[in-house]
Amino acid sequence: MNLDNALQTFFVESHELLQAMEDALLDIEHSDDPVESVNAIFRAAHTIKGSAGLFGLDGIVAFTHVMESVLDKVRGNDLAIDDGMVALLLSCGDHIKVLLNSLVDGQEQSDPAVFAEGAVLIERLSKYLGASENQIEPATLPQQHETRVEAMGGGFVETDNWHISLHFGRSVLRNGMDPLSFLRYLGTMGRIVGISTLLDAIPPAAEMDHESCYLSFEINFQSDADKAAIEGAFEFVRDDCVIHILPPRSRIADFLELIQNLPEEDMRLGDMLVRCGTLTQKELEEALALQSAGASGNAPESGEEPKRPIGEIVVEAGMVQAPVVEAALEKQKHIKEAKGQENRVIRVDAEKLDNLINLVGELVIAGASASLLSHRSVDVPLQEATSNISRLVEEIRDSALQLRMVQIGETFRRFNRVVRDVSRELGKDIELLISGAETELDKTVVEKIGDPLMHLVRNAMDHGIESAELRQSRGKPAKGTLRLNAYHESGSIVIEVGDDGGGLNRERILKKAIDKGLVSPTQNLSDQEIYMLIFEAGFSTAEQVSNLSGRGVGMDVVRRNIEALRGTCELDSQEGQGSTVRIRLPLTLAIIDGFQIGVGSASYVVPLDMVKECLELSSEERQKAKDHHYINLRGEVLPFVRLRERFSEKGQAGPRENVVVVQYGGQKAGLVVDELMGELQAVIKPLGCLFGNLKGVSGSTILGNGEVALILDVPSLIQQAVNADTQMALSQA
Amino acid sequence: MAKSILIVDDSVTLRQVVSIALKGAGYDVIEACDGKDALGKLNGQKIHLIVSDVNMPNMDGITFVQEAKKLPAYKFTPVIMLTTEAGEDKKSAGQAAGAKAWVVKPFKPEQMLTAVSKLILP
Repeated sequence: MNLDNALQTFFVESHELLQAMEDALLDIEHSDDPVESVNAIFRAAHTIKGSAGLFGLDGIVAFTHVMESVLDKVRGNDLAIDDGMVALLLSCGDHIKVLLNSLVDGQEQSDPAVFAEGAVLIERLSKYLGASENQIEPATLPQQHETRVEAMGGGFVETDNWHISLHFGRSVLRNGMDPLSFLRYLGTMGRIVGISTLLDAIPPAAEMDHESCYLSFEINFQSDADKAAIEGAFEFVRDDCVIHILPPRSRIADFLELIQNLPEEDMRLGDMLVRCGTLTQKELEEALALQSAGASGNAPESGEEPKRPIGEIVVEAGMVQAPVVEAALEKQKHIKEAKGQENRVIRVDAEKLDNLINLVGELVIAGASASLLSHRSVDVPLQEATSNISRLVEEIRDSALQLRMVQIGETFRRFNRVVRDVSRELGKDIELLISGAETELDKTVVEKIGDPLMHLVRNAMDHGIESAELRQSRGKPAKGTLRLNAYHESGSIVIEVGDDGGGLNRERILKKAIDKGLVSPTQNLSDQEIYMLIFEAGFSTAEQVSNLSGRGVGMDVVRRNIEALRGTCELDSQEGQGSTVRIRLPLTLAIIDGFQIGVGSASYVVPLDMVKECLELSSEERQKAKDHHYINLRGEVLPFVRLRERFSEKGQAGPRENVVVVQYGGQKAGLVVDELMGELQAVIKPLGCLFGNLKGVSGSTILGNGEVALILDVPSLIQQAVNADTQMALSQA
Repeated sequence: MAKSILIVDDSVTLRQVVSIALKGAGYDVIEACDGKDALGKLNGQKIHLIVSDVNMPNMDGITFVQEAKKLPAYKFTPVIMLTTEAGEDKKSAGQAAGAKAWVVKPFKPEQMLTAVSKLILP
């Protein structure tokens, strides 16, 4: 329709109204009938708003809406009109004029300056509306119903129709409503397939009131409109009528899908049903009214009678089919569960955690420095305060590190699939046994341990576990077993990959190693040492290279990966019984509890978990120890290393020397030092790549006094002590 | 014969737009500028539907509907009231007067057409 002429009328009328408003505002104080003046002003704003809406001029509608709200308050005597308000309303009128003129000029969008002016005026108007109404909802044009739900499979079968049961109220005719007009209107939205008139409500003719409506219909309606649109057809009789609208069967599937796709928010059941379109807002209000009516009806006798569930009510009232409600309830439960889980676990950016750990590291160092200073002073309360702080810092450090700890179970579980797939590929029947899945270790370690473990698992399956026939001939169950185990042991975590296969063939490994020139034939090697040869680069005993393993790159890569994590590998094997690879890793890579020792002028730190005990090297033992590198520790041979010699510390040992007994991986050794300085927290700073090959030192740390101390690599020192001891024994023999 | 609709509003723009829309859809339209004017138009001619604003000078919409319903010829004529979203109290007053259908201002011409077609066909 062409509204150009009407738009011209609108401009003319609006200018007239604005002029009338201005006049009324100017003489409101002198007016004989101030109430009528206010009414006139209100009507002007109201009419402009209504007319602007017809043309979709949202800017003017929004602005006049606020004006109207203020004027409505004046009209209702909630607000007194004063000079300030008159001035404000006059400028509002001017602003509307500006808006209208810009439209006359053909500018759809008013320029920013005008817009800003409007915003200021609205803000000033809003002040009159008080705090409660500060946020005024802009009066936008209501959206028309255009939502359509796609019909499934493109079209309905005859039985697949909406079912509408329609009971008109008695007063419908009296209100001037024609029941048939609604049915006709319904007909414009789809096809009325069948209609049956219910006669049971119609009284005998003699008792009939000719102004009352007794009509009821059951309608079979074919349409792709949604429920709200169908209900909308009866909008004007909704309050008088009883209407049930049941969707077609195919719609139920749609509703179920819609419910499934609802966002994962905590919603009430009614809202969910309204959201997916199976229940209309009106129906929900009715159901809620029923619910509260039911509750209040029961309340006097039973006290706090629980309300009937809304789902039950809507099904009983025939508003929604039971399966839809069930689906919605299911979804609701699912959301709640998901919410619950969300509450238990917070996802945090790993970088943030790393940052926190770094800061805690700095805090530890700063704390150590503070406590050192306090100890130097003789101020006892200060010492107490700093020791309190130290204790707290220690706890913070532990919890911060704990944040990075994750269970190894997730990594282990991945191997279920790997074992299944690989065993199929190899044609072997292999079972995976997982234990110690709840063992926790540092996240970075978990991330990096995956690949080495994969190599070890594949290797064990490919080379370790024999074929079913061979196993049976050896008297073992046909089904092979692979074990993944993890546990904590003295400050480190141990991960075991074990199989019950053929084990390592000592002779074959030795022969191969000699062939490859890895060892000389004259070398006298223990079983352990021979087994460890398989971790050497370029070593593979598999006669046939399979696509899984056997290229001789696997095991040495495994060892290098693990050493990069400051860990070690061990291998146990029994021929015919199987073998176990044991990976030992530090619990954390960031901060450790250390034990500080002094040799000459230098300080060293030993990870506290590895310190077994400390004892004084008696002068008697010192004499003996000049010849051999071991002492008698309660009847046990304890090889030791003199750190003074080991690190070429200048000067002579002091009059008293101490032995720190350290233990790692089942071996013990003593470290002979000058001074025992006690426990400290050490923030591990890695050594530069220049010192990467340095034996006996694994890192450095900064002490409270600002000095640098080296962190000792206990496993390698133990190895040296044991080797030195053996060599000395050999040379003596 | 086309059905006739009485449109009562003090805004000439609104009357013009609504009548363009309704005439386009095949209705006859009679216009009145307020309640008093509208009552004068209810002179026995057949009117199928009344569309009335609430807030008008001289006589407001609710008084007008009350008066109209007193006339036997218009006792059962359906009424659409034009209301603002804030007018809940007005709404109940209007319902008491006999107006059961409501269209919220501001509206678009098509919305008015939809509301009318729910009650009467051209």
